[in-house]
Amino acid sequence: MGIADPRDPRQIRDLTSALRTPSNVEVQKALEAEEDHIPGVTVTTLDKVLNFGSTVSYWPLLFGLACCAFEMMAMAGPRWDISRFGMEAMRASPRQADGMIISGWVSIKMAPRVIRLYEQIPDPKWVVVMGSCATSGNIWNTYNVVQGIDALLPVDVYIPGCPPRPEALWQGLEMIRRRIREGRHGYDNMRTIPVRAALGE
Amino acid sequence: MAAAKNIDELSPAHKQVASHLQGKFGKRLLETSSFRGDLTYVVSPQDWLEVLTYCRDAEELRFDRLDSLLGNHFPEREDQPFEVIAHLVSIPHTTRIRIKTRLAEGETLPTVTGVWPSASFDERETWEMFGVVFEGHPNLTRLLTVPDFDGYPLRKDFPLQGRVGGRIRWNFKGEI
Repeated sequence: MGIADPRDPRQIRDLTSALRTPSNVEVQKALEAEEDHIPGVTVTTLDKVLNFGSTVSYWPLLFGLACCAFEMMAMAGPRWDISRFGMEAMRASPRQADGMIISGWVSIKMAPRVIRLYEQIPDPKWVVVMGSCATSGNIWNTYNVVQGIDALLPVDVYIPGCPPRPEALWQGLEMIRRRIREGRHGYDNMRTIPVRAALGE
Repeated sequence: MAAAKNIDELSPAHKQVASHLQGKFGKRLLETSSFRGDLTYVVSPQDWLEVLTYCRDAEELRFDRLDSLLGNHFPEREDQPFEVIAHLVSIPHTTRIRIKTRLAEGETLPTVTGVWPSASFDERETWEMFGVVFEGHPNLTRLLTVPDFDGYPLRKDFPLQGRVGGRIRWNFKGEI
């Protein structure tokens, strides 16, 4: 052999022979050799197919809270470009979204609105908490900041940073995609979302 | 090469404003100071509305824009711990002025929403953060905090840490 030269007619002839469709006789021989094997058919569950479809079309809610939202916009922009993973369609309506990215600190006045938006997203849904403010309140242990949104909502992925780089958000979204593929959610094994449990509703 | 301009010196337009206000109000301007070319006057709460209305209406002043209205708290001044500051801008004369007044605890101030409608949000914020009541304000309700908030967060004696005063409201009725 040597380096393949596309101008060499023998090389072209070899390539076509490798790519040609097998004749009926050859298929019959292959079937006899291995009885279980049916060429061209894969067996899977419907859930796996649907989850695979969801991994490439996770649409987050178009919802920015504070400075982390700018990193989220950078992630949506052409440089990092989440449209490569089918996430570019950020839905402005929670009814059409698959989850939300809580990007920034949640004030006490904003928290009921965040809960309401979360509850309006249809199941299944996945929540990314972006940045240390939404995770824990960060330095704002003050009168107006919720000390960690996980006291109110079931959370799938936490992304540390102040604010996290778009690469960090990217990794968080990759973890979300893995959870979608495996069919896991933040609210698994929860009877109700934490805020409702705290209120006794 | 031009000599370096003294930044504390008043511009000719500001000098005109200063002489005009001094001539009109005289001793009713309790304090006068200038810092980096910006004039500041302190008036008594009784003169507050009159001075601000005159600043907007006089032909030589024409402060047609209220840049901002804010409060401040000085706990070390025992008799008059609160300050309300109005920043005015004159677009025709391209001048800027700052009018202050000092208030005791519980003392009220007439609203200037009739002079500049944009004062409405500023006065609401000053009221909710410092507890300075503006008499005659059309809608003196809380702007940034929850409606049943307890306390005045920007006063110096408000605790810096901890969840004091604020509660998450769950009753959405009429809110969203």
